[in-house]
Amino acid sequence: MIKLNVDDLHLSYGSNDILKGVSMQLSRGEVVSLLGPSGSGKTTLLRAVAGLELPHRGTIRIDEQAVFDSDAGIEVPAERRNLGLVFQSYALWPHKTVFDNVAYGLKLRKVGHEAIAEKVVSALKNLGLGHLAERFPHQLSGGQQQRVAIARALVYNPPVILLDEPLSNLDAKMREEARAWLRELILNLQLSALVVTHDQNEAMAMSDRILLLSEGRIEQQGTPQEMYGNPRTLFCADFMGNNNRIEARVAERRDGAALLAGEGWQLWGQARGDNAGTSGTGMIRLERVRLADGPGENRLCLPLVTSMFLGDRWEYLFHEAGLRFRAYGEKPIAPGEHWIEVPRDDLWVF
Amino acid sequence: MSTYAARLPGGGSPSRQWSRGLVISVTALVVLAPLLLILYQSLLDAPFFDPAASAGVGAYRFIFDDPDFWSAAKNSCFIAVGMAVIAVPLGAALAFLMVRTDLPGQRWLEPMLLIPVFVSPMVLSFGYVVAAGPVGFYSVWFGDLFGGVPWNVYSLTSIAAIAGLTHVPHVYLYASAALKNLGSDVEEAARMSGASALRVALDVSLPMVMPALLYSAVLVFFLGFEIFGLALVLGDPEGHLVLATYLYKLTNKLGTPSYHLMAAVAVCIIAVTVPLVMLQRHLMKNAAKYVSVKGKAGRQRPLPLGAWRWLAAALIAGWLFLTVVVPLSGIALRSVVNYWGEGVVLADVLTLDHFRTVFGQPTLMRGIWNTVLIGVIGGGLAVACYTAIAFATHRQPDGWSRFVDYLVLVPRAVPGLLAGLAFLWVFLFIPFLSPLRSTIFAVWLAYTVVWLAYGLRLVSSSLLQVGAELEEAARSAGASRARASRDVTLPLIRHGLLASWLLVFMIFEREYSTAVYLLNPGTEVIGSLLVSLWATGGADMVAALSVINVVLVGIGLGVALRFGVKLHD
Repeated sequence: MIKLNVDDLHLSYGSNDILKGVSMQLSRGEVVSLLGPSGSGKTTLLRAVAGLELPHRGTIRIDEQAVFDSDAGIEVPAERRNLGLVFQSYALWPHKTVFDNVAYGLKLRKVGHEAIAEKVVSALKNLGLGHLAERFPHQLSGGQQQRVAIARALVYNPPVILLDEPLSNLDAKMREEARAWLRELILNLQLSALVVTHDQNEAMAMSDRILLLSEGRIEQQGTPQEMYGNPRTLFCADFMGNNNRIEARVAERRDGAALLAGEGWQLWGQARGDNAGTSGTGMIRLERVRLADGPGENRLCLPLVTSMFLGDRWEYLFHEAGLRFRAYGEKPIAPGEHWIEVPRDDLWVF
Repeated sequence: MSTYAARLPGGGSPSRQWSRGLVISVTALVVLAPLLLILYQSLLDAPFFDPAASAGVGAYRFIFDDPDFWSAAKNSCFIAVGMAVIAVPLGAALAFLMVRTDLPGQRWLEPMLLIPVFVSPMVLSFGYVVAAGPVGFYSVWFGDLFGGVPWNVYSLTSIAAIAGLTHVPHVYLYASAALKNLGSDVEEAARMSGASALRVALDVSLPMVMPALLYSAVLVFFLGFEIFGLALVLGDPEGHLVLATYLYKLTNKLGTPSYHLMAAVAVCIIAVTVPLVMLQRHLMKNAAKYVSVKGKAGRQRPLPLGAWRWLAAALIAGWLFLTVVVPLSGIALRSVVNYWGEGVVLADVLTLDHFRTVFGQPTLMRGIWNTVLIGVIGGGLAVACYTAIAFATHRQPDGWSRFVDYLVLVPRAVPGLLAGLAFLWVFLFIPFLSPLRSTIFAVWLAYTVVWLAYGLRLVSSSLLQVGAELEEAARSAGASRARASRDVTLPLIRHGLLASWLLVFMIFEREYSTAVYLLNPGTEVIGSLLVSLWATGGADMVAALSVINVVLVGIGLGVALRFGVKLHD
């Protein structure tokens, strides 16, 4: 069942087009991430769904009901869309206690006193905040504030919950814990969620499907595995992971493969995208580059510049003339020249 | 995210739109009606209620033929220029010393600096007369010591100098705000490149606060054209008229109600002030642009002044002595002596009779009571009105909000004296309003409109501190715009509104010129009583009332300091 349907949405600030025809769906129980660099329009899309921005063309339907339709002249105000929105800054009301913050949406829905108390207490308990009900927001830690913001958005059972960069205000270590906690919560409560994030790891970890936005358009969408392992564009390939990038001449194209060549080296890779020209961009994930023991196909001999210790592994940096490769390994390696292998199936040539 | 927030779609309910429209139309009505009436009256050749009045430019012809008008215009220009020349450099230097250096005693200096802003100019000028006039306290003491007095407070130069010195705080406020906003990193960068403290001030700080200085220069110049009390009290003995006092004296000039002539002068004054207000608005926008390139405003070690700090402190103390201590001590002394002159021994003439007289006169007591009332209750009501207007335009960047933006500039451009006159006419002109003319409501309405821009800025600045996402969170939780304003925004700006109330209280206590033409049995306030008593020579009463006025303002100031209310933004 489609919970949220956005069709051909256009939005601009003056002459500055922010969304240039975005379409997407969100099914029941599904988590979709809006991913993209800053300025790609992901937050604007979320806010347009929430009713906080006014698009000029397209439709937005929630639970099959049009909340925005430019042709029919429908614009349901934010307060009547019945959505839950978690703000990046949490936006907790500083003059209300945790209890009152969470209860507000129920109060507006004219829920009785006892039912409010019951629902709020259970929501707070679900989120591990049971003992904090009488506190004020400034008395909470960042992580607790985030949970209150989520409780506030969930308590009246909205059909879709919107999260705007929900983890970005937490420090790095807490962010990973919160990510797992949030994913668990979404699964347990069977929420349909739309999440804005600029962090591809967060998007992949949390969502069933990712929408990658670039300059107001959807660049590619799919499951995290598709987005990571089978990008259709250079932008998507580049954005989704840590990559080595090789700008070079395309010497030959054959059976869906392309040969990148430079001064004294050549590498075969998969041809991707619609580039048929004589120069191309090769791209390979860092973790796909392997150290090799000697010469062979798709292997290069490069001098090691430095090894960096990352805790769980080592990162090597090789650099010579126009070629620059980074790779991961288990142990430190000696200075000097090393053979590395760039597997043919893992090198994408755009 | 604020640019996003500004685009929150309307989606207000019809009732909300309706109340918004009502607020904006009432504002437009009370702001524009008096102004249009002045304009209309200036184009008649007799008072508007005279059935024989007919259209014509006779009023303008009369005043343009009057040499007094031109001399008043010249004097106004002289005072305005003189004020800017004195106040801007002093205000800028004061701001630099206060914000950037290790000047001693900054903590207690800060509120002292603002006293001239909150004390009525009527009180200050009267203070100068009794303190430094030909037989003033300080003149007599100085004469006893040195055998003569080198100054004459009644000369035009003195008026300009006093006006300039008392307007230093206006410049100081803008310059210090700009300096505080200015990132210290740009100054540190200059020091790292080898610039001395003075060079940094001149080469980096000064150019970067230039827009703010330019803005305050225009502001002070503009205030120079509004000057009334100072010129009325100090300009009278030698017959120096400025535009506002020329207007005030027109009544006596012809002996008959010469409303058309007054209106013509009023239009001339407004013709000068409106462009100045527009220029200020333009400069303000430019200054804001400048601030956007500011560096990081970090905590900064104050610039050590070394031995100079005592000189700087002495200069500031000297300025405070001239602008605060001399007039206020003069007025305080005058209120407790029977008479004063050369050879009089202070201990022989001390008395509390003046206060007894004041407390015994029903008119004066009513004036004091009204002043308190208009400050406390009227101030609260005014803040309520300003809040309603602020909410009508809050985060709704459409044509209506832009209209209100320009609308509030109108009363700024109309000096209080003219606004009071215009409201008098409104109450005369509109039959069903005339019973209100002799109630304090008339004065309150005029005060509220005259201080509209000031009050609205106070309220808006607290409104802007409420993050847009707090309101949006309420909207997405299901609250309508009005409900979100009531449940989220209003509780959050409560302290800001209380502070605004306090500031408006002080401003309303201080105000005098607006009430001059509205003075009636029943509408007396201390400000207008001072003007009328001064005209009839009641120096004893004036002194006692002035002290009471200063005490009222002082109470407000004390409360503000006690509760840490910021006296400026």
